[in-house]
Amino acid sequence: MAGNTFEQRMDLILDAGQTMLENGGEVFRAQQTMEIMARSLQLQEFHVYVLTNGIFASARSDNGDGLSMVRHVPLVSIHLGRVEAVNELSRELAQGQLDLPRARHKLEDARAIGSTPPRAERLACVVGSACFAFLFGGAWAEMLVAAVAGLLESVVCQQFGKRRINRIFTDIIAAGLGTLWALGVSFFLPTLDVNTATIGALMVLTPGVALTMGIRDIINADYLSGAIRLLDAVLIAGSIACGVVLAWLAGRGLGAIVW
Amino acid sequence: MPLWTDYLAQFLVAVVATISFGVTFRVSPRHYLACGFTGAVGWLVYVLCAELLTMSAPVATLVAALPLTACARLFAIRHKAPITLFLLCGIFPLVPGAGIYYTAYYFLRDDRTLFANKGVETLKIALALALGMALVCSIPLKRHNKS
Repeated sequence: MAGNTFEQRMDLILDAGQTMLENGGEVFRAQQTMEIMARSLQLQEFHVYVLTNGIFASARSDNGDGLSMVRHVPLVSIHLGRVEAVNELSRELAQGQLDLPRARHKLEDARAIGSTPPRAERLACVVGSACFAFLFGGAWAEMLVAAVAGLLESVVCQQFGKRRINRIFTDIIAAGLGTLWALGVSFFLPTLDVNTATIGALMVLTPGVALTMGIRDIINADYLSGAIRLLDAVLIAGSIACGVVLAWLAGRGLGAIVW
Repeated sequence: MPLWTDYLAQFLVAVVATISFGVTFRVSPRHYLACGFTGAVGWLVYVLCAELLTMSAPVATLVAALPLTACARLFAIRHKAPITLFLLCGIFPLVPGAGIYYTAYYFLRDDRTLFANKGVETLKIALALALGMALVCSIPLKRHNKS
């Protein structure tokens, strides 16, 4: 292992952990992956503590110096392709198929896996909304309305995300716009089932990720991280409800003016 | 058999709905079908339990979460991929989006009985989902796998 300095190994491990955490890996998975990598790279006295938004690690180098590193992971955007790639990397490393430079190269590859083009993301939102409107008992009209509502929501999420507007506000506005649109259509099409159409569109915003991850963290005894994620789930659900209420109020107000 | 075709249609639509979440979460395309299948199994069991066996929504969710999580675990082992991939996408059809909506709706209508009912039901569904997932995830496998 020529040229494998201690810091390089440590860097690689922390980068791998950070990549996992940033892209939606669970806390225990990031921790486990980092520990496996440290063992494969023969780091001595490697200890790591992972939280939903931070990594703390320390290790002792060959000549006895201690080193500790902290990483802050403020923003999580789900990219499961990258999580899978890092998982694969740690497995190959544990099997001894990779040396340090190749592992570093693979990690950079994993981090460079492109994200879905915004257009595809919008399409997915539209299709998802329409499908859920169908599943909740909607007919063609509800599916169409939900599809357009889904498009509105995804555009709001993308634009607000680009401008770094906070998550809670984004959810309120997205849910509100979707509901308002369905309400607006129902003025001209009284047979439309507003509830079904709106629910179909709202399913795209529901806190499924936060809920699932929170539970998985708690099962794995990471109570603090699990609690953070469950709190997130409750906040998202609350902001969706807020958006719906605001939209109904606005719809009622506008309706009173128009009629 | 119109009833039979109705459930088949629901199954297929649930597959598409779940895959659309797979796209937003950038799951690699080779897992799309597995993700879709996981979600659709959950939804189908939920609908069957709720409509044919007339179970309440939380109980039906609990029952549906079991095969869903089992599917996710199975695919995780067969595809050698983290279980998160399949679980995150597959869980969405069961998340109580309708509950959140109706809770907000009755809050606005100032109908306190229905508001409390829906609110508690939403919470129950979320808990049932959690319990179902926790149960299946905690069953140890003989050969402990890291994924």
